[in-house]
Amino acid sequence: MTALLTILLAFLQIGSSPQNTRCFLCHGKKDFGVMEDGKFQSLYVSPKQFSASIHGKFTCVQCHTDVKVIPHFIRPQKVSCLQCHFEGNTVGAPVKWMPEKYKDSIHAKALAEGNPNAPDCETCHTTHYVKSPSDSTSQTNRRNIPDLCGRCHIKQFESYSKSIHYKALENGMLGAAVCTDCHQEHDVLPPSDPRSALSAEGVVRTCAKCHADTLLMARADVPVQQPEAYSESFHGIALENGMVKAANCTSCHGHHDILPASDPNSPINPKNLPKTCGKCHPHADKNVAKGKVHIIPSERSAGIVFYVYTFFKWFTLAVLVFLFAHIALDLSGFIRRKHARHE
Amino acid sequence: MNDKIPRFSRSWRVQHMLLMVSVLLLVISGFSMKYSETLWGKILIFLEGGFQARGALHRLSAVLLFATAIYHLIYISFTREGKREFKSLLPIRNDLVDLKNSILYDLMKRAERPAFGRYSYREKIQYWAFFVFILLMFLSGMVMWFHDFFFAFLPKWAFDVSFALHGGTATLVILFLVLWHMYVVHLSPANFPANSSFWHGYVSVKWMKENHFLEYESMIRDSEAKHAEGKED
Repeated sequence: MTALLTILLAFLQIGSSPQNTRCFLCHGKKDFGVMEDGKFQSLYVSPKQFSASIHGKFTCVQCHTDVKVIPHFIRPQKVSCLQCHFEGNTVGAPVKWMPEKYKDSIHAKALAEGNPNAPDCETCHTTHYVKSPSDSTSQTNRRNIPDLCGRCHIKQFESYSKSIHYKALENGMLGAAVCTDCHQEHDVLPPSDPRSALSAEGVVRTCAKCHADTLLMARADVPVQQPEAYSESFHGIALENGMVKAANCTSCHGHHDILPASDPNSPINPKNLPKTCGKCHPHADKNVAKGKVHIIPSERSAGIVFYVYTFFKWFTLAVLVFLFAHIALDLSGFIRRKHARHE
Repeated sequence: MNDKIPRFSRSWRVQHMLLMVSVLLLVISGFSMKYSETLWGKILIFLEGGFQARGALHRLSAVLLFATAIYHLIYISFTREGKREFKSLLPIRNDLVDLKNSILYDLMKRAERPAFGRYSYREKIQYWAFFVFILLMFLSGMVMWFHDFFFAFLPKWAFDVSFALHGGTATLVILFLVLWHMYVVHLSPANFPANSSFWHGYVSVKWMKENHFLEYESMIRDSEAKHAEGKED
């Protein structure tokens, strides 16, 4: 009898794609699920949250393409996001470079190696309730990124939560650096990888993305000259020329728990500088705190270096004038002697 | 009369050669770092064998220059010839008068070109400029080379000052080398294309009369006196 009814139902559904309401007859019930390996696995999907998601206007079977009739008696295959999110798709799914970039990431590598904890698309974007990152209720929204990454990276989140970046984020400064700003979103790579934004060569550019941004830094009330000054410093020049052992931003500032110099726990607090510089320079003592860091010689804020620089600038100019004048005078004297000889 | 007059002793020429080689190497290896972001800076660094080899070359040439400086200091302090040469390089009031008169002559305000002794204001400016430059470069260079050692004595700003001083002085060195030294001994009409006395030590009588007339005169007097003495014996 049941079989007959199913066949009849199936027959009725031929040619029409099932509406979501049919799916939700079962999957919309909160206690709907199956027993698997002695554990209850929920198969509930909130109709309300699904219809609020960016995929809310699609039908379930557009993704679950192997479900032709409802109820289905076989277990549907796992849905791949790449069914739609591929270059040249006809349903208008945004592609950009994200899926491609993900393939290079340490996450994708771990997943391929069979790590059950490695995240794929749905780990961050959710399965049924995908929302645009610009939606403040999305877990991929900037404000929610630290919580999202922190679900797995607990230690790093703990450290980051002490930082000035997180404090600013909590205070509503959405421009403050979150995990993805430094680690990249889809192509997360370990710092040891030269392609990583956090490789020794990459880290300066990564920090400079924000710290050389005049508008952003003005809003955050943070000086903007540091990246430029660094690139003209000994460390910066050495690093630029491939000496990766030279100090980069993180060598002195730390990384997850970055704090301003005014904070006594900061490695760049004047009291902690001897220890911080001492990591590389064994004789560093409190002398290293006497003087400014990240100076641009042509700016008054550089202090004594500004005066040395300014002296040399004008003195060199004066010398240049003197030397050229001397050549001009000497040549005129020579021409005069030559004329005198001819006369 | 022999047309060749000895002007520079072998010791002088060796010192000049050492100075020339070490300063050239220092200039090349130094400026290739200062302009390492430019194309020719990168080319120079490549020719030097990479960034670290460039640093090694700079330090090695610095050691050569330092040795030359020590040699020179011993030369002017302890040898009879060196003491005499150094004495004639000391600036005197008359140098200012010579400079003034030279300028007046060049400007056609004076009929006679001033006559110079063994070293005119030109050579003296050259010598003392480099004396001061090398001293500054040595001090600031030592602070940077041995920064780990100096961290124990010097505040952080002293290293920044050394860096600025080293770069600023380097530019002055280049200016003096090209616009003063290169002009005076190579490009100036009196010496064009080059005054080769730095190599063999000899100059011509004509050149001596034109450029160091007073010294020429005293040489003639000395040789005449010697000649007279020889006759008496």
